[in-house]
Amino acid sequence: MEPERTEGKTVRSQKPNDRWVFLTPMVNSCKLHLTTVKSLVPERSQRMTDSQDFVKEKNMNTTQSINLSIPGSGGYKYNAVPAFPFTRLPGDSFASKFQRIDLDRRHLEECPQLGIMDELQLLNLQHNRITMIQHLSHLQQLVFLNLYDNHISEMMGIECLSSLRILMLGKNRIRKICCVENLSKLNILDLHDNQICRIENMSHLSELRVLNLAGNNISRVENLQGLGCLIELNLRHNCISIVTEVDRLPCLQRFFLSCNNITSFDQLACLGESRSLSELTLDGNPVALETWYKQAVLRCVLHLRQLDMKRITDEDRRMAGVQARKEEEKKKESHKQTIHKEKRRLAIRNAAQQWEGVIACLELPPTNGAKEEVSPENSPAHSPAQTNGLAQEPSPDEPRRVSPGSGPERPSGGTESRLRTNSRPNSPRDPKLVEAGSGSVQSLSLSDSHLAELDGDTLRLFGLGALEALERGWGVQTAGAVTVITFRYINFDAIVPTLPRIRVKFPNLSHLIFLETNISRLPQLAALAQVRRLDQLTIHPGGNPVVSLALWRSFVIYRLHHFNLQRINGQEVTMNDVIAAERVFGTLGHIAATETPRCRLLLLLEESRKRQLQFLLEGRGRRAGLSPEELRDNGKLLGEGLSRALFNYPSRDCSAESPEEGTVESSERATMIEQYLQELVQRASDTNLKGEALHKLWPSMFAEMVRDCVLDMRDRAAFRQASLAKLSEPK
Amino acid sequence: MLISTLFPESMTRMNRFNSTVPDDEYLADSNVLFYLSDAVTQLLEHKEEYTQFGMIRYFAEYFSSVKNSNHVLFREYNYIRATPHNRASFIRVFWRCYRQTGKSGELLSMLEYRSLLQLLCPDFPLDIVQSSARIVVMEDATDCLMSFSDFLYALQLQFYYQEFLDSVLLIYQDLLAGKSPNTVIVPTSTSIEQLPSVAAEENDKEEQQQDGVEPSSLAQCIEALCDRFKRSHPPRSCMREVLEQTNKVSYYSFVMSLAKHETINQTIGALPSKAELLIDPEMDQELDKLIAQISVSPGSNSSGSAIGGLKEVQRKASPRRNIHHRRKMEVESDGSTEETDSSEN
Repeated sequence: MEPERTEGKTVRSQKPNDRWVFLTPMVNSCKLHLTTVKSLVPERSQRMTDSQDFVKEKNMNTTQSINLSIPGSGGYKYNAVPAFPFTRLPGDSFASKFQRIDLDRRHLEECPQLGIMDELQLLNLQHNRITMIQHLSHLQQLVFLNLYDNHISEMMGIECLSSLRILMLGKNRIRKICCVENLSKLNILDLHDNQICRIENMSHLSELRVLNLAGNNISRVENLQGLGCLIELNLRHNCISIVTEVDRLPCLQRFFLSCNNITSFDQLACLGESRSLSELTLDGNPVALETWYKQAVLRCVLHLRQLDMKRITDEDRRMAGVQARKEEEKKKESHKQTIHKEKRRLAIRNAAQQWEGVIACLELPPTNGAKEEVSPENSPAHSPAQTNGLAQEPSPDEPRRVSPGSGPERPSGGTESRLRTNSRPNSPRDPKLVEAGSGSVQSLSLSDSHLAELDGDTLRLFGLGALEALERGWGVQTAGAVTVITFRYINFDAIVPTLPRIRVKFPNLSHLIFLETNISRLPQLAALAQVRRLDQLTIHPGGNPVVSLALWRSFVIYRLHHFNLQRINGQEVTMNDVIAAERVFGTLGHIAATETPRCRLLLLLEESRKRQLQFLLEGRGRRAGLSPEELRDNGKLLGEGLSRALFNYPSRDCSAESPEEGTVESSERATMIEQYLQELVQRASDTNLKGEALHKLWPSMFAEMVRDCVLDMRDRAAFRQASLAKLSEPK
Repeated sequence: MLISTLFPESMTRMNRFNSTVPDDEYLADSNVLFYLSDAVTQLLEHKEEYTQFGMIRYFAEYFSSVKNSNHVLFREYNYIRATPHNRASFIRVFWRCYRQTGKSGELLSMLEYRSLLQLLCPDFPLDIVQSSARIVVMEDATDCLMSFSDFLYALQLQFYYQEFLDSVLLIYQDLLAGKSPNTVIVPTSTSIEQLPSVAAEENDKEEQQQDGVEPSSLAQCIEALCDRFKRSHPPRSCMREVLEQTNKVSYYSFVMSLAKHETINQTIGALPSKAELLIDPEMDQELDKLIAQISVSPGSNSSGSAIGGLKEVQRKASPRRNIHHRRKMEVESDGSTEETDSSEN
């Protein structure tokens, strides 16, 4: 008695106004009958059973007694709804005695044989046990057929009732809608409380106004095309989760979807298309529990006048409008965010891609004369060996491990799939670093192949182009907030020139992280000294072969001793580490500082330190004995031992002799030097020859001189006189 | 004036030549011209610094550093390999700087040695390191770990006799292939760099098939080669000795024996004998001094108590060091802090 119960509610709620009004909504056509019964005994609605018994008794005699009231009352009321077919029912249509048969509650197990009653217009067989519809095909005049509450499992047997306008099949066992194709005049079809799973075969019911499918197992609203006159659609108590084609019902005014399984407003989108819809129920659906349910529905269905039996006020509409705008903005924002996220992802991916390209190129055999300094491991025979070496790196998924042979074709199209799999090579290992696209992230510079972003105190740079973000104008506050800088997919040699400026720009920088920056040799690490102050250093093993060297940590500790580093790769630096590092590299530094020719020192040191050394050499150095010890002690004043300062990267000396600018000049210079030296050697060897000749001649020359003197002085008096004359002779 | 500054230096350095040697020959043999031209080139290249430094002083320092073998520090590779003296000096510097790694007994990989070499010579090439490593491990396994002394002697041989060894490798390969080694033309310096490494792999393959060549035929070829290389080859007697020991010889086993040969080491004169390789008390003392300095002043901004704690750690870490340290402190008496430190002990 489900429909009765629900309808009862409706009826009661409306009674105070007008006890007839319930007819107007036409909620459940099956009620048409019942309510008319009730209307006869309005004062005692609670005694409904009595009244029905009464109806039963009366019907025994096949009269129209009670039901006569239908046309009267119904017609009267239905006038409110113009052109409703019932208006045509009243009057003389039931004049004939057998125009109506009421067989309510007769325990009938099959349809009665009504062979002679061709004129029959109204047949009531409700509350029986009929299992099949039969013996009805000749009732061509039948307008109203009520089979409510029977045991019918198939709709066979009604195909030919072409005059039928009202068909009541509620509370049966029907599984499938069929056989209604020819009932083109049907106005009301009631199939509530059956076992129907699909809406189908209805497209010919072009005059159908009311369709009741409540209490079935329907999960989709579909196949509604052709129902051009449908005003009311009742789908309560189904399991509907998908609503479609409602926009194909041009006259739909009332749509009942209470107690279904609709979870999202998206399903209501097609309701929005319907201009006629004015009443909707959605209570009992998951979607009705949402916070902004009412507003959201109103936004979807603008013309709604009643939702879940409540009138829509202007306030509601206004709220819905506001909500809609908010929603819109949110959507835009999130859209923007997703776009940005996507861009970010792409940028990182491309940076990774380019990085792989660069690495692959590095591993390729170089063209002749490639600078050894950049990639000394390039010589062709060594490439396989190099790959072997890399295999022991602790990162098996490294993009670096591209076999060198595949290098040349990498930039072309065929690499797409591989690149995709590699696009986030390390994300499982350090998801924090890549994925943390939280709300506080501020993107500083973004292109299709690089990304610079600021996330709280962390500045992340992906790809070579991101280095330019370091150059931009930084506010004092923003720059002061940066304590961590992460480099990824950038060649370390490209980062090196920025290091001194980093310190100036970010006074509070305390932690540098290098991921995939191709740090491969110890000397490169010396470049970090230019940062001047640092608490933490992280050089990720991925893409940084240097980490596989056993001595790298010691070297960092030794070289950056004056930083007083707290942590390297997250591991604390202890005094033992410092001493161990000194043990390994102390001798090197000592020899470097004390034994390097002082003139070379001038070239090797960086500017400020050079000045100081120059000053030292100027001031006191003139005296020859400026001991190396002294020098070193003086170097110590700067905070960074002189011995350590000698390990620079890139080495100053090499950069001074950059090939392209020097070639012409240096070759000229070389010839000049050669000439000069040849002259010099010539003169030297000449001098030497002369010296040797002199050496040979000297004894005889000396003897000759002595002999001459002796001969001169043989006559002493004469000699004395001659000498005296020489003296006295004025010059 | 300049001449008087220059020549006495070189004369004293090369005084083993008596004055009867003609000038040209002397100059060619002693590489004086090379050093001269390098000195002048350097001077011209860094005019500003050196004029400020003082020209005479510069030349004096330059040649005394050449004499003391520390002129190769932080110089470019082309300079380091230019003369035998430079090569030997570099080997010696390398030994002195990294003796501690050998002392600690740590085994390092080839790439690690390369990095260490590059700290001294920023553009030291990989292939020399690689060839040296190959001498040690007898194959191409680059991730093999080697002891410092093994690597050092191999590097010495490879670096000092680089051209000679390259030629020997070519001859050896020809012998393996069954070609007449007489057709071998001594490669020019440019081709040297490419050929051996390219051929190395094939060589390895062949090596597995046949276990080397007849020592006598190799010896013959090497004799001929020595004639062409004049003095830049290992002593013939040593090579003969090595070759006489076996009846089949492969290139790497041959070179390996050469690397370990004491006489050759003495001939080069850069390194002490293997037994004394890790001994250098003077440098040990210096190092102890450095470490003491560190543990006394571990950082510019640590407080006194922190220093004490850190020193404690250090003491536990190396008791042997400390004994040494104390003994040294008794001898010297310069730093007051260090003295209090030793009295604490």
